Amino acid sequence: MEFVLSQLAGFGGAMTDLVTDPLTYVYLITSVFLGITFGALPGLTATLAVTILTGFFSNKIPLDYSMIALLGAYVGAIYGGSYPSILLNIPGTAASAATAMDGYPLAKAGRGGEALGLTTTASFIGTLIGTFALLIFVWVLLLVSKNIASPEKALLALFGILLSGTLMSEDLVIKGWIAGLIGLAMAMVGMDPLLSEPRYTFGWSYMLSGFQVVPVLMGAFAVPQIIEGMRHVQAGKVLELKGSIVPSWAAIRRYFPTIGRSGVIGTGVGALPGVGEDVAGWVSYGVGKTVSKEGEKFGKGSVEGLLSSETANNACIGGALIPLLVLGIPGSPPAAALMGAFKINNIIPGPTIDPAIILRVVAILVLASFTMFIMGLFTAKIFIKILRIPQTVFLPIVMVLTTIGSFSVGGGINDLYLMLGVGFVAFFMNLLRYPIAPLVIGVILGSLFDETFRRSLLISDGSLEHFISRPGAAILLTVNILLILSQVPATKRGFRWIKGKFA
Amino acid sequence: MDQPDNIAVLRTRDFWTSLVLIVLSLFFLWKTTDIPLFGENRAGVSGVDWYNSAALVPLGIFSSMLILSFVLLGISIKAGGAQRALSMIGIGWDKAEALRFTTIGLTLIGYIVGLVPRVDFIIGGALIVTAMIYGYRGGHTNRMITSAIFVFAAGLYAFTAHTPQSEWNAHDDDWVALALWAILTAIVLIQGKGDAFARKLPIIAVLAPTILVCAMAFGFRQNVPARGGLIFKQIEYQYYVTLKPLWSQK
Repeated sequence: MEFVLSQLAGFGGAMTDLVTDPLTYVYLITSVFLGITFGALPGLTATLAVTILTGFFSNKIPLDYSMIALLGAYVGAIYGGSYPSILLNIPGTAASAATAMDGYPLAKAGRGGEALGLTTTASFIGTLIGTFALLIFVWVLLLVSKNIASPEKALLALFGILLSGTLMSEDLVIKGWIAGLIGLAMAMVGMDPLLSEPRYTFGWSYMLSGFQVVPVLMGAFAVPQIIEGMRHVQAGKVLELKGSIVPSWAAIRRYFPTIGRSGVIGTGVGALPGVGEDVAGWVSYGVGKTVSKEGEKFGKGSVEGLLSSETANNACIGGALIPLLVLGIPGSPPAAALMGAFKINNIIPGPTIDPAIILRVVAILVLASFTMFIMGLFTAKIFIKILRIPQTVFLPIVMVLTTIGSFSVGGGINDLYLMLGVGFVAFFMNLLRYPIAPLVIGVILGSLFDETFRRSLLISDGSLEHFISRPGAAILLTVNILLILSQVPATKRGFRWIKGKFA
Repeated sequence: MDQPDNIAVLRTRDFWTSLVLIVLSLFFLWKTTDIPLFGENRAGVSGVDWYNSAALVPLGIFSSMLILSFVLLGISIKAGGAQRALSMIGIGWDKAEALRFTTIGLTLIGYIVGLVPRVDFIIGGALIVTAMIYGYRGGHTNRMITSAIFVFAAGLYAFTAHTPQSEWNAHDDDWVALALWAILTAIVLIQGKGDAFARKLPIIAVLAPTILVCAMAFGFRQNVPARGGLIFKQIEYQYYVTLKPLWSQK
């Protein structure tokens, strides 16, 4: 209890610093507005919002303010995806895909205002649940992480890539793993981290410093989105918003158990390395369908169904920041973009991170969720108008935005060539149903894996004993092996046989 | 996409992809042999043990990729991907989609490779915004081709006329891009008679890159592409000579 109170006191200090600084509100209101706009426009994603703002803010304003801008956009974009889901039956972001299942039927039944109001409230409470978990668990894990050395770090990085590849694949799991390996391979370009041996530079001096994170992020997330979105789509009819958006206390009280449960699920899924808000939304929706009394109404206009996914995807934000801040492993694709911003500012997330940064992140998330809540309830009409802008109009402007953002991060014109190259590759990977998130996580964690794996071998003179003799490493090694084995057809058949035998 | 036919197309694509991945894995495994693995001497200094070599992790990565590529090849062959591999159905792209991708590809290449480093950012930005909105808004094939030709031609001229970096500040490519933007804008306005958005397009096309480049250069004080560009050079001059002294006089 004393620990929780001391955490809350630290959080109070960080919050006071933020609320007494007028600039906080400038960045917060702008970024949450931009985030909701990005989320509300079908074709733009939360990852793209954070990525583009990373290019713009990460190294141009002090880190304290750039964190406000990036986290505000992150919170806003995940929530903003609910607008087109409810009013157009088109998910604004992948995270809101499950929301459309119940949100649109509700809006069609004339309950659009109620749906939007409850979604706003659920997203707000969900973000707070995730943020509270971040405040408490990050410290517990930070204490544990003091015992994490090179073998555990290497295996954790591998686990992040493997898990992301496994869970983010829409088609074959093997494609997720290949995407992760491509990302790892990209991270090998440049001087190696231990001996400064040049690798795969092909005589080009630009390549000596390796692939920079921001152009890779822009290429992986923005360019394919632009190529895919530049097609004529018959604009969907935005349903008229009927009823009051501000929800009643009775409704909030009634759905509070659903919101609470989904918040916990979303936080838990978010804490898994490399797994994003879309997975959180679907998992929570699936659980909700199973445990809810109105499970049979899911997909036909159930408020519980709507809140299950919407609470979870926002709660996922706090969860996704736990592995990022404690271990330096992003919990979701937007968190990967945040990690890029940290790296540009020479901040290495992990056990050595400055505790003040964590407290500030928590305070920003709380303020961002309040801003989102107020904007959602009182300025919804603006965002509904934004829904009507066709993507063939805003995507060219996003292209110009991406270009100047990527250029100004530092690498100049070569970064733009890299962005374009990665963009074309990522577009074809999307086409072939390879997930992009494992690739990006591979690029970000590749250097950490390389360095810590070889350091582990160096300590033990080439022996693999450190990966087995250390309890933490042994557990992680087992988890990694089990994760791989669980996808091997022979093992799957074996499990089915055992299940059949004992069923 | 989960219909059986679509799965069949996907497996056919997987067949080709796995072959490409096998070739790439083998190529990079061969390139990895350039990195000393067993402690060779470098410039008279003895190298390190194999377990600390810079080649160790890349070898693991590309070997794993090679194995997974063979597994993917096996999956695609089992699903009939190899049988359909040489038929047109297997490629999965129709003519319209191929054209759409080609035009966007040419537009982006023309913009990033040709225009951004050499041509004024406002002119280049206005050209690509106008071209992309005009080309893809209504889904007209002819417009897609026209818009791609305009951007690619401007980019190609800038690239061929001023390839070395020392010539990037020349202004003839700026004028060519500006003329092409003016012609394209005229086409947009003529074809879009009565369309309120067509009238707004030139304003959006100029304002968006102008605001972005000015915010980046004067607000965030960051490097921007083509600093010596035709229009931006004038803006920068007026900003530092006329405007800035108004609020920074000591």
